[in-house]
Amino acid sequence: MTATAKPAAPSRGGTDTPRRSGLLLTAAAWFVGVLFVFPVLWMILTSFHKETDAASNPPKFFAPLSLDGYRAFFDAGPWPPILNSLTASIVSTVLVIALGLPAAYALSIRPVKKWSDVLFFFLSTKFLPVVAGLLPVYLFAQKVGMLDNIWLLVILYTSMNLPIAVWMLRSFLAEVPDEMLEAAQVDGAGLLRTLREIIAPVIMPGIASAGLICFIFSWNELLFARVLTGTRAGTAPVFLTGFVTSQGLFLAKVCAASLVVSLPVLAAGFAAQDKLVQGLSMGAVR
Amino acid sequence: MSTAIDTGRSTAAGPKKAKLSDRARGERSLGWKLAGPAFLVMLFVTLYPIVYAIYLSLFNYRLTDPTGRRFVFLGNYVTALGDPLFWQAFVTTFIIVIVTLIFELILGMGIAMVMNKIVIPRRTLRTVVLIPYSIITVVSAFSWLYAAKFDTGFFNHWLNFFTFGAWDLNYDWFGGRWSSLLIICLSEIWKTTPFMSLLLLAGLAQVDSAQEEAAKVDGATWWQRLTKVILPNMKAALMVAVLFRTLDAVRIYDNPYVMTGGANKTLTLSMLVGTETIDRVEIGMGSALAVILFLIVLIIAFIFVKLFKVDLTGGRN
Repeated sequence: MTATAKPAAPSRGGTDTPRRSGLLLTAAAWFVGVLFVFPVLWMILTSFHKETDAASNPPKFFAPLSLDGYRAFFDAGPWPPILNSLTASIVSTVLVIALGLPAAYALSIRPVKKWSDVLFFFLSTKFLPVVAGLLPVYLFAQKVGMLDNIWLLVILYTSMNLPIAVWMLRSFLAEVPDEMLEAAQVDGAGLLRTLREIIAPVIMPGIASAGLICFIFSWNELLFARVLTGTRAGTAPVFLTGFVTSQGLFLAKVCAASLVVSLPVLAAGFAAQDKLVQGLSMGAVR
Repeated sequence: MSTAIDTGRSTAAGPKKAKLSDRARGERSLGWKLAGPAFLVMLFVTLYPIVYAIYLSLFNYRLTDPTGRRFVFLGNYVTALGDPLFWQAFVTTFIIVIVTLIFELILGMGIAMVMNKIVIPRRTLRTVVLIPYSIITVVSAFSWLYAAKFDTGFFNHWLNFFTFGAWDLNYDWFGGRWSSLLIICLSEIWKTTPFMSLLLLAGLAQVDSAQEEAAKVDGATWWQRLTKVILPNMKAALMVAVLFRTLDAVRIYDNPYVMTGGANKTLTLSMLVGTETIDRVEIGMGSALAVILFLIVLIIAFIFVKLFKVDLTGGRN
């Protein structure tokens, strides 16, 4: 899957570095890396401990392992919230790409008049403080009876993620060579065919990384989900906060729950790691 | 010192009222058709709330007392801006923004430079560094909360161990404003530095290594190379990264909400809006605060774009 991706970061400057300083740098890099992952490792370890060992301080590294924490979490009925989260994240991500791709195309390949203003409008909405929109959205949802409805979150996440997706996709579209487009035009290819046969292959990594970012954002979103949903449409982070609040002192359970809820994002992140980096980089500088 | 600052595009595109050909007009209408749906969705979900919030902010209106709704014009804004709690939240928010930004920049730059240099396990390292970024914010907040709490956490134990017992095992990190803020900032830095370093890594890729070599040959010190060659050359990426993180950090909510709930003067602006609207259902006041927060964000974005000439749009012209 990732084998076709072109190298995301250039390896300039690394070739002539003296061996020893290179080794030192590598060691430093790994030290920082481990420092960054340490809290996660600690959580993984704790999640497999029995409560008594998890609560011990300093932490016991060699305590017997147990699945009690995970059992307790799954007994608490996490599946409806997880399904809700999956629905909200996946559907909104698909919608974002479906809406964002044509918009990005219009912005980068067939420039709309004053397109930089348009683009700035797109981006500025990304910067809106989320809380500021919370109350109006709540009142609106109340009026139309969409409170505690997962589709409300789908709509919200779609619009919240659209700007960043358009922005990232645009930078990938800018990579499509003009000559290719012109050739397609000369050959009489229609818009749909151009999109499908010329543009899609070039910007696949862009779509993947924009999609992944949108997935991560909507999966992790808490504020709207907490306020706008109740028992039926609650998402995984909402469930998790509730679980942690009620089981706060049972560390193993809390760690297990946190890890399970983070798992989809971690898995997706690992799967598309190269594309993610590439997409972030391109989105940032182009 | 650094004279090469003005890299922004000048907007010299004067009013061009040339007659459009049919084809150009067709192109343009196609463009609007393509961008239209996305536009509409965003207008509906972003513009509508803001306009509605501005409208609501002009009333003294409590959800539990609908009959007591009164038009107060800018009264809510006057009250909000005269409230010490608002300014306290303002200061707290900006302390967090500035502290995290500085450390994220330095750390992120360091990590980016190292990642740019080392060859051996770059892929693995990148994956590893990305882990905090993909952890749910709430989860990371909880994990830091438990690590720092005096009854459950390992912070105190390790500090105690490394200071040979000088550190108080029962030190309450969440007992005071500054220690709480320290943990909040640490957790923010931990979570977002990876993202920062990736953005900066992309910027580093733009720096011409020949220039750096030339500077090296000319005897420029490491610091000179960094400040005179590397940083000016990656200014675009740097500014975008700083802008993104600043605006993101101004809205900080999850982390302090989970860790302190706003106790000990750690309330942030977003949390203030949250408590007014959600907990106290003071809709008029909450909306006024939301509008103020929105204006703050807008002003920051404006300063960045106009003053520092951050070019967000770049690309084909």
